[in-house]
Amino acid sequence: MTISSAVAGHGQSTSPSLRSRFAKNFARFLSSPLNCFSLGLTTLLFLLALLAPIIAPYPYEQINPANSLSPPTWEHIMGTDQVGRDIFSRVLYGARISLSMAVMTIIVGLASGVFVGAVSGYLGGVADEVIMRVVEVFMSIPGIILALALVAVLGPSPLFIVLALSIRRITQFARVTRGAVLGVKALDYVAACRVIGMSNVRILFFHVLPNCIGPIIVLATVLMGNVILLESTLSFLGLGIQEPTPSWGTMIAAGNELLTFAPWLSLFPGGFLFLTMLAFNLLGDGVRDYLDPRGASVI
Amino acid sequence: MFFKFVIRRVLFSIPTIVGIVTLAFLLGKLIPGDPAVAALGLDLDGASTVSQEELERVRTELGLDRPVIVQYMSWFGDALQGDLGRSSVNRESVTALILRAFPNTMFLLLTTISTAALIGISLGVFSALHRGKSADLVARLVTIVGVSTPPFWLALVLILVFAFNLNLFPMNGSVAEHGWTALVLPTASIALQPAALIARMSRSSMLEVLSQDMIRTAAAKGLGRWTIILRHGLPNALSPVITVIGFQFANLMGGAVAIEVLFGMPGLGSLLINAIFENDLKVIQGVVVIVGITFALTNLAVDLLYSVIDPRIKL
Repeated sequence: MTISSAVAGHGQSTSPSLRSRFAKNFARFLSSPLNCFSLGLTTLLFLLALLAPIIAPYPYEQINPANSLSPPTWEHIMGTDQVGRDIFSRVLYGARISLSMAVMTIIVGLASGVFVGAVSGYLGGVADEVIMRVVEVFMSIPGIILALALVAVLGPSPLFIVLALSIRRITQFARVTRGAVLGVKALDYVAACRVIGMSNVRILFFHVLPNCIGPIIVLATVLMGNVILLESTLSFLGLGIQEPTPSWGTMIAAGNELLTFAPWLSLFPGGFLFLTMLAFNLLGDGVRDYLDPRGASVI
Repeated sequence: MFFKFVIRRVLFSIPTIVGIVTLAFLLGKLIPGDPAVAALGLDLDGASTVSQEELERVRTELGLDRPVIVQYMSWFGDALQGDLGRSSVNRESVTALILRAFPNTMFLLLTTISTAALIGISLGVFSALHRGKSADLVARLVTIVGVSTPPFWLALVLILVFAFNLNLFPMNGSVAEHGWTALVLPTASIALQPAALIARMSRSSMLEVLSQDMIRTAAAKGLGRWTIILRHGLPNALSPVITVIGFQFANLMGGAVAIEVLFGMPGLGSLLINAIFENDLKVIQGVVVIVGITFALTNLAVDLLYSVIDPRIKL
């Protein structure tokens, strides 16, 4: 966020109600057809995941050995796997796993990262220096390697997977929040807050942070696709969500063994993974263009 | 002045490297249960199958009977001398295992990043030159699709089409077995994402440069279109692109893990995954240290290169 936009944001408290302002901004965001498309696709994916128990034609764990490795038919539109489980139902339940793990990872990363980054940026000095050095260390290890190493020592339970995926997100959110806080804390209104005797905690969390929200939202959206890919990679390598719970990565890996014989086993879950990443990447770009027009964009 | 910058930047990366070595040590301390049991390659239930004397022997051998701070100092000192311990599976030196795998990974990564840079820069410049036209739209769509394609899934599709159906490339194996053809499919699988990101940066950077006065001056002087693009546009647009290339190179070390496993390539990724499934903690720690240090050194190299190309940049 630029300094001027931060000032403008702060001064907007006199404009009409928050809800009408949000509606106006949202309408402007939707004026781009591509934003409509990406938001529609993400909503659809979330709906599919939420309504999986209703939409899925079969229970995801229901085996039917008599009908194993069936290619796509009207009965099983995405075919069946080695033990006759319906791929479509498993893909839908897989969406639940992928999206919920990603959302939880982003929530943990955002909550902790924003806190650390805000405190670091606001306090400055030695604390800032130490925190940023630690952040740098975590940033120096590729996300998947760090996650693999952590899951390897802690074990592949959903809680530890979320934890392993979050650690690098915490550092990313911390970095972005710190940068934004540094820009905002130099503004006059923050000095004014200090002059009237507000506590540092109140200034930071009620007056500085709300004006840093733009880049944080952008990062959260952009990271969704990234986290979904990481979770699937962990599962693909056998260190994510374990069978029989369906996860796209695990399904793609299972299909790998029969790739030439039954390609639908890998292609459909992979196709959904691709669509999900496409939706979130497009949405992330749209949100960035809208909230932070200086950032580079794809479309 | 430049020399001072180099010294400062090099000194800056020392705490990061110390941090990486420390982090790898802490990783070993995170293991639930008795690390001696884990070092024997057993899970928590396997503890009862080992005699107390055997466990004591392992504890002494690994230095687990010493205070944590002493263990840390010894790990750090050994790491500084290039000794990362021994594999609990085959007793081989971790450094030797890593040294054997490292060149394979680097070879794959260098091929990938060169391919990605070539495709990415060309696509980005092409897109910028045709701004707003349908060619630009197509190039940008290719970019967004590239960023969104999961590499390990793309690898499976490529194997299915080019190795199985068309029989053009081997399905798996190392360069030693099949020659350069073994590199084509793995490279194509992981090059798409960095190529797309490099294209994105090249496009916006090129557009920015093309709108500058000097380009208008060059055009007013009567220089040809390609002279302007190649001699005045591109060199100026490249500096931010180099940062992206460096960053993507470092990131590829993570992306290569699944691809190495999938194609059975004996690199750091395969080493790490095997170590994880064999509970070989020392190898896991070793790979984290080496990957982290390579990542930090790549960033250092990019920063230094960046300041050579664009002298206005200072830390």
